[in-house]
Order: sequence, then C-alpha cells, then structure tokens
Amino acid sequence: MRVPPGVSLTDFTEALKQFEDVVGKEWVFTSDEDVDLYRDAYSPVWSEEEEPIPSAAVAPGGVEQVQAIVRIANQYRIPLWTISTGKNLGYGGSAPLLGGSVVLDLKRMNRVLEIDEKNHYALLEPGVSYFDLYRYIQDRKLKVWIDPPDPGWGSPVGNSLERGGGYTPMHDHFDAVCGMEVVLPNGEVMRTGMGALPGAKTWQQYKYGFGPYATPIFSQSSLGVVTKMGIWLLPEPETYLSGTVMVWKHDDLIPLVDVFGGLQNSGIIRGTTTLASPFWLGPPNPELDSLRASGSVKDLEDYAARKKMPYWSIPLNFYGPAKVVAAQWEHAKERFSSIPGATFQEGPSYRFPLSAEEQARIRDTVPLGIPSLQIFSLLPPRSQGHIGFSPIIPMDGEALLEAMALFDRVHRELGSGRAVLTVLSSFPRALVIIDLFPVERDVEKNRKMRALYRQLIKEAAARGWGEYRTHTTFMGDISNTYSFNNHALRRFHETIKDAVDPNGILSPGKCGIWPKRMRKAEA
Amino acid sequence: MASRREFLQMGVAALTLPISAHAALSTAPSLLDSEPMATPLYKIVFDERFSSSRAFAEEAERLGTSVHGITGDMTDLWYHDLYARWKKGPAAIAGLTAHGPIFCLERLAWDQRMRVIFRADHRYRADGSIEHALSGPATMLRQAAALSSEPDWANRMASLVTHCPANRSQSSQSNVIGPTVKHADDPEHLISWVIAPIHRA
Repeated sequence: MRVPPGVSLTDFTEALKQFEDVVGKEWVFTSDEDVDLYRDAYSPVWSEEEEPIPSAAVAPGGVEQVQAIVRIANQYRIPLWTISTGKNLGYGGSAPLLGGSVVLDLKRMNRVLEIDEKNHYALLEPGVSYFDLYRYIQDRKLKVWIDPPDPGWGSPVGNSLERGGGYTPMHDHFDAVCGMEVVLPNGEVMRTGMGALPGAKTWQQYKYGFGPYATPIFSQSSLGVVTKMGIWLLPEPETYLSGTVMVWKHDDLIPLVDVFGGLQNSGIIRGTTTLASPFWLGPPNPELDSLRASGSVKDLEDYAARKKMPYWSIPLNFYGPAKVVAAQWEHAKERFSSIPGATFQEGPSYRFPLSAEEQARIRDTVPLGIPSLQIFSLLPPRSQGHIGFSPIIPMDGEALLEAMALFDRVHRELGSGRAVLTVLSSFPRALVIIDLFPVERDVEKNRKMRALYRQLIKEAAARGWGEYRTHTTFMGDISNTYSFNNHALRRFHETIKDAVDPNGILSPGKCGIWPKRMRKAEA
Repeated sequence: MASRREFLQMGVAALTLPISAHAALSTAPSLLDSEPMATPLYKIVFDERFSSSRAFAEEAERLGTSVHGITGDMTDLWYHDLYARWKKGPAAIAGLTAHGPIFCLERLAWDQRMRVIFRADHRYRADGSIEHALSGPATMLRQAAALSSEPDWANRMASLVTHCPANRSQSSQSNVIGPTVKHADDPEHLISWVIAPIHRA
C-alpha cells in the first residue's frame, strides 16, 4: 500500500478506517487496481519515478462528508487532492501533484441544485458534468445555453475553477462564476458573495457581496473544497451566424488582430475564435512546412495567391436576434475591409431551437453550447495524449508573429520540428497561443519534451508572456516565472495558505504554493 | 461505404428471423471449450468506417447482441444511449473500434464502477500478418490461440467477446500472430474490448 509522504502506516490505516466510517467502505479506494484509475493518462512523467501516483481515493456523497474527511485529514496530516470529475486531461487529469496524496473525488456530488430560466443561472455541485447539465436543460426544455469546453465530459465547477474556456459568449468560465460554497481546510463551511447573507435572494445574481471579494481566491487554489457554485448561463439566442474573414498577405495579421480586438472590446464579437494560417498554425503539412522553411515571405504570399489560400483567416461567431447578428456581421465586414484585399465568407447560420435532424447534421456542436466527445475521434491514431504550453500574449499582431517565430525556433533548436500552434481569443484584450506537445509512453521522448517545454517557459517569460494554466508537472516552473519583487505574489499566497491551512492538507504544491511544512523540500 | 442503417439493413436481410446466441452457436463452433456463464452484453459498438469492425458487428448481431455503429465520434452513443442506461446501473458493452472511442468509454465507465476487463490490440504488420496483443480472463485468452490460424479474426473476436465469462477471477496476457487480409479501409491499429461491472471484495 502506498502511504502519503510523512505519514506513518499506522496513522494512514487509521485515517482510511475513519474515511470508511464517514463515506462507507465502498467509497474508499485503496487497491492498486482502483487507485491506478486516478493516474494521469496524459502524464508527461508516465511510469517515471516522479510520476505522482495517489495513495488512495475517497468519494464523499455530500458536504457534511467533505467536512468530516477534511477534519480527519487534519488530524493525521493527510494531503488531499480535490477533483470534480477528474477529466481535465492535459492539466493532470485526476492525479495529484504530490505523489501519495489521497484523491478527494467529488463525482458523487452531482446534483443540479437550481436553474433559473428568468435570470439565467445555475447552482451546481462539483460532480455535475457538462453533459449532465445539458441533459437537465434539454429534458426541461429550458431556454438557456451552457458553454462547454471541448471535450465536454468535465465539470462546469472544475473547469471554471481552473479558468478554462469555451466558445459561446460565456466562454470565460471563471468570469461566469457567481457565488460559491466552500469547505475550508478546518472543515468549516463558508459561502462567498451574497451567500454570506443568511437567506440571501441574490447569491447567483450578484457576485461581489460586501467587503473583500473572496470568490477568486478559490480559483486555481488550494484554500478550500468548493462544494457548490453558481454559474451564469446564456439566454438561448434566436440565431447563430458564422462569418470568416480572410486576408492574403503576411503583414495583414497586424491590422487583422487590431480590428478583431477592437470589435471584441466593443462587444460586437462575443464568442471565442481561432486564428488560422496554413503556414503557421494547425497540424504540420510537409509541403507547406518545407516551403516556409526555404522560401521568403513573398514566396509564401505568391504560393497562397496561386492556390487561392488565405494567408490568415479568422472565423467570427455571432449570437443573438437575427437582425442584430446580421448588423454585427455587416459592421465587422466594414471594419475588416480597411485591410486591402480582405475577403469574406458567410455561414453556417442556425436558428434555435434546433430540431434533432438539424443538430445531427452539424459537425461541430460545441460553439452552439452542445457538449461533445468528437475531439477524441480527431486525434492521430497513435496519439497517447498531449499537453499544451499556453501563454497569454498581447492582442497584437506583431507580438503574435514574434511568439510564433520564437516557438518555432525553440522547437527547431531542440530538434522537435515545427511547433503545432493554435491561437485562441478566449479572454478579452489578450490572446492565448497554445503549443501542443504529444505525450508518449516513452520515457526518453517525454524527457526531451519536458526540456523543450521548460525552455519555452523561460523564453516566453523573458518576453513578458506567462501561462494562464498548466499541467501539474510544470506548475512550479510557471510559478517561478511570476517573480516580481522577489516573488511577492507567491509569498502572499503562502502567507494565506499557512493561515487557513496550517497543516497543509489541501492540494499541496498546486500552482507552486506549498504549505510551510513542505516548502523547504520543494522550493 | 454503407451507412449504419444500410449496414444493419443488410445484416437483417441476411437473417430471416432473429437468431439467439445459443441458436447461432449451434451452427458455429464455439471458441470456448466449455460454456461458463457469459457476461450479458448490453450493446456491441462498432465503427462503420472499418471493414473489420463491420464484420465484427455483423457476427455479433448474428450471435444475438444488439449493435451500435459510430463513425469515430461516440458522442451520440454516449448521450442518447449509454448515459441513460448507465444511470440505471452498470451494463456491460463490447466493441471493435479505434483508440479514441475506447479511451473515452473506458473513462466514462470507471464512473459507473465498470472496467475494461478484456482488451485485444490488433496491429497490422509489414509482413501481412496481424498481431493480437490480448489481456483479460485466462479462459478467453486460451481460446484466442485460435487466432493464430484464423484470417477472419474480427468474426472470431466477436464470438470471443460475446462469450466473455462472468467469473473473471484470473487475468492474463498473451500475444498471438495470425494471418489476415488487410482491408483498405482498416486503420493500422484496432482494439477489441469488453467493459463490464467490477465486483469488489
């Protein structure tokens, strides 16, 4: 039996027995067969000594059981690693950061507690998946949309807490959070925002409550176990329209991003979009990659023109009343027409609600608020998974060109060919550039990949670009780059951590924040 | 390529009457020496794009198991079928698919206290043979030795998974290399699998 670090076998055995008394024997998992299910399928340290394998897992059925587990963990100083549905592959899945931790698996807490169709919000437990929530809404024919990420098998609570993103106008998931219930490390239950007011009528309608705004400190955090969360939903739009803007010169990227940013900041464009370029973005293409490596920008532009292939394109998604959506698209076209030679392509468009037949014909349902698992069928046949390096860069075409060139150079220097990049507009006023790395069941390949990843972290940070989220393997590395004034922010987090979790039982090491008793060893 | 409906219609047309598993076994020799109680399968999953997967489904249906076709994406299978079925309780399924669907289904099944209890990775080799890397109940693996001389391996796999023993106390691994004809629409790597409830002590 694996044992948490620093915990005696006797104490651990006693703690497990007490966990069983709380949740029932069937919901405490200690056999290798069961515990191995919590390994990270996309681990970049798979089967290496440093792969963090949990010692056990415990699955409470309600908030009182979470409180009891936290109190027992405090008594025996058992590190807990909280997961909701544990499906955030690419970021650690259901595996802890600290090997030997006990996974606190909240998937049994899967009730949709409330959906308000008038004010467009939901109150959820952490084990509710996007599919659960979607089904709940569809079964009741409610006129609200969810905003699933891709794939949609995870939890709205977990994804929002980790600051994930989707594709509809509600794409910034943490921005849509309104009110939480949290079990603190001492086992006490706290509610944030208006929830602190007994009998509050607006817990899911007004975020801030009174005084310091506490909700965000539980995001990407190890300060509590979120047991309920409010999220805002999108009123079902009347229509959806997609239009694509295409530009034909390399340097057109700069005005393209400028215009896009202006439209996004004005609220004209509200959904997430993905920039495309056959030469720079998306999966490798041997012919185009070779052309890019050997040719000049003019050669590439000439090639693109000959092949009628836009150098850059950007699909725009509009949601709302038909007249409004049509006007938004017209306005966007006017603005992008300032780029010489810009062309436009319209479609598809849909009117809601969709019939089952209409829905079945749509290949990518995710931007329409319909969760999907299709992405798993699009991965290469030999794929063992992937993780992303995803720094936030300015909403600026020159910065984007600089970032793409940098990533490409680092990949080539470390012998990994060209970078496979995706550029997303998931958050306002900035872009996320995602560099995808395959993970393997090959120790040596994974070591090389980690070296490349860490080099990119350094090179990006040197240019002022930091990651918004990362796999548990790299949380310490990323945290180290947020070092202004001798790591003042991390020291502040550590001060809070020590105050509210003095025994350091909740998610040690998450986002580089270690409890005091483990800090020296890990710093 | 035939659509799922067309494929099933062809399959149904070949049978004048539904044939139960036992009736089918009376005309096709069983892979099993004796007949231990089999895990009842709620559904067989196959990928309409791949010849071997279609053959697998056709044989499974002939043996009396309900089949569900996908084209890579298993969202519809999950959302419109398994989601509701598994809410009622665990129900075993089996399939012959590419990696993506079984990767998803395995993880979704974990949440319902089920596991992949049999898996066979079928990889075409440069010399025209096919390697079957199997793991699962020892009784099934013993019977899989027949694959070493069986070019119609997908049919055999269908028979094997539809007779996955309910009593699975011992798990084992083996590799079998057999002859085959690679269909143009088959990928290099396919996986046969059975997902079934676990019985914890």
